[in-house]
Amino acid sequence: MLERRLPRWLAWTIDPEQARRAPFLAHSPLFAGLPRRLLGRLSTRFLEKDYAPGDMVFHEGDPGRALFVIVKGSVEITRATPRGDHVLRKLTAGDAFGEMALIDDSQRSGGARVAEHARLLILYKTDFDALMDSEARIALVIMRNLSRLLASYARQNAAAMTDARSGAPTTDPV
Amino acid sequence: MKPFWIISITGIAVLAWLARGLLLPVFLAMMLAYLLSPLIGWTDALSIRRSVAVGAIFSVTILVSVLLGVTIGPRVMAETSTLVERLPETITRVDAALDRSLAELMVTAPVAKSILPQGEKWLSKLLLNRPPEEPGEFFEHAGHIFLLCILVPFFAFFLMRDMPSIITAIMNRIPPQHVETSVAVWRELNGVVGRYIRGVVLDGLVVGALAAVGLWALRIPYPLLLGIFAGIANVIPFVGPLLSAGAATLVVLLYAMGLGAVVRVLVMFLFIKVLDDTLIQPLTIGRSVHLHPALLLGSVVVGNHTLGVLGMIIAVPVATILQETVRLLLEHRRLLASRPRGRAQQSIG
Repeated sequence: MLERRLPRWLAWTIDPEQARRAPFLAHSPLFAGLPRRLLGRLSTRFLEKDYAPGDMVFHEGDPGRALFVIVKGSVEITRATPRGDHVLRKLTAGDAFGEMALIDDSQRSGGARVAEHARLLILYKTDFDALMDSEARIALVIMRNLSRLLASYARQNAAAMTDARSGAPTTDPV
Repeated sequence: MKPFWIISITGIAVLAWLARGLLLPVFLAMMLAYLLSPLIGWTDALSIRRSVAVGAIFSVTILVSVLLGVTIGPRVMAETSTLVERLPETITRVDAALDRSLAELMVTAPVAKSILPQGEKWLSKLLLNRPPEEPGEFFEHAGHIFLLCILVPFFAFFLMRDMPSIITAIMNRIPPQHVETSVAVWRELNGVVGRYIRGVVLDGLVVGALAAVGLWALRIPYPLLLGIFAGIANVIPFVGPLLSAGAATLVVLLYAMGLGAVVRVLVMFLFIKVLDDTLIQPLTIGRSVHLHPALLLGSVVVGNHTLGVLGMIIAVPVATILQETVRLLLEHRRLLASRPRGRAQQSIG
């Protein structure tokens, strides 16, 4: 945002990593509709970590404490079945998972395993809550987006259950 | 536990022991960094490079400190030198009056002789007849303070500038399956400690300013000096307000301003205390951090024993941080224990 208004000779004062983060988050359905200023504030709350293929981001049953956004690579959402781990969804760059942790710290309903070398942005509930306390607009927009996502998951699950009762994969949020 | 972590933790412990002299400046630098972190958050949101932002924030902070020094400094210095100059004479005068009154009391009511301690010139003995400080000791204290003034901003600058890189390096070292739960504890602690430190400083500033204005309005000598003392002492709950009220009352007594002035000063400090508890603290510190009274007094005693007055001031924040760390770790352990047993074993093993 500031980088667009600055004269070229002051461009060196801009942090390119941080400047890329806000537009990147704008593409995520969870943060859609947030103005640039609030996206900028939100983006500073994310931490970053690299994961190797096969790394477990979290296990089913873990307490949910953070939301993850994939910057690069891919992550599989899995659920334990008597026949082993079943892959529910494969997520790629720009996708977010673990969004239920922003509501409460209940147990994860599925696991998340890194499929290809990934870089993830991590937003902890504590940091999100602190931001919501100071910016009610962020809370309003994200909770509205989250409600839409949950409604969509619920509809997909209902459809999957009526389609086949043969253990068809569901798309629960984690 | 992996050998890497054992070696790292042992190495850090040995380094901390060797560099224990640096613990205080590093702790104060952390407090300064927490204090300025909202500004850094604001510049981060504007995508300004950390080095540029921290440089600018430090330049403005130094400028504001110099301006404050120029505007308030001479007045504080004048009050201090007047106090130091007049103190021996005033104490002698008050002692003479006190001794005369006590002598009269003992003649009219001989029973008082068994209750009151014997001897004369109590205030002189209490405040003036302290063993003289060696010149070497004075230079040692001055040297320590000068070193703190240099080291604290120095460490704070690099802490603020390099914190994102340090965090990323640590995050990449933590085993993936522990990142979510273990870092969550640190993030929560970071939030609580940050809010607490900023709250305490803001609370001290407001209380100090109120005390200075109130004392000035009541025409009590040294309002600025006593206001600064009230602001700093306010960090120590319960004991702090008592110390500030006691210091102001002592000044009123030394200047023989009468019982009416003593009552007015005490009522003013009581009013500030009530205002602080009901309005200022809930707005600045909030009600999330509470130190048990026993821990509070214990930490003040240990702080005084270890670092003197400075130790008393930083004892409560240090004890609060430790208490919050333990509370969050226990809460985290309880949360992990409530997981389904099979999964808990899977993630640990």
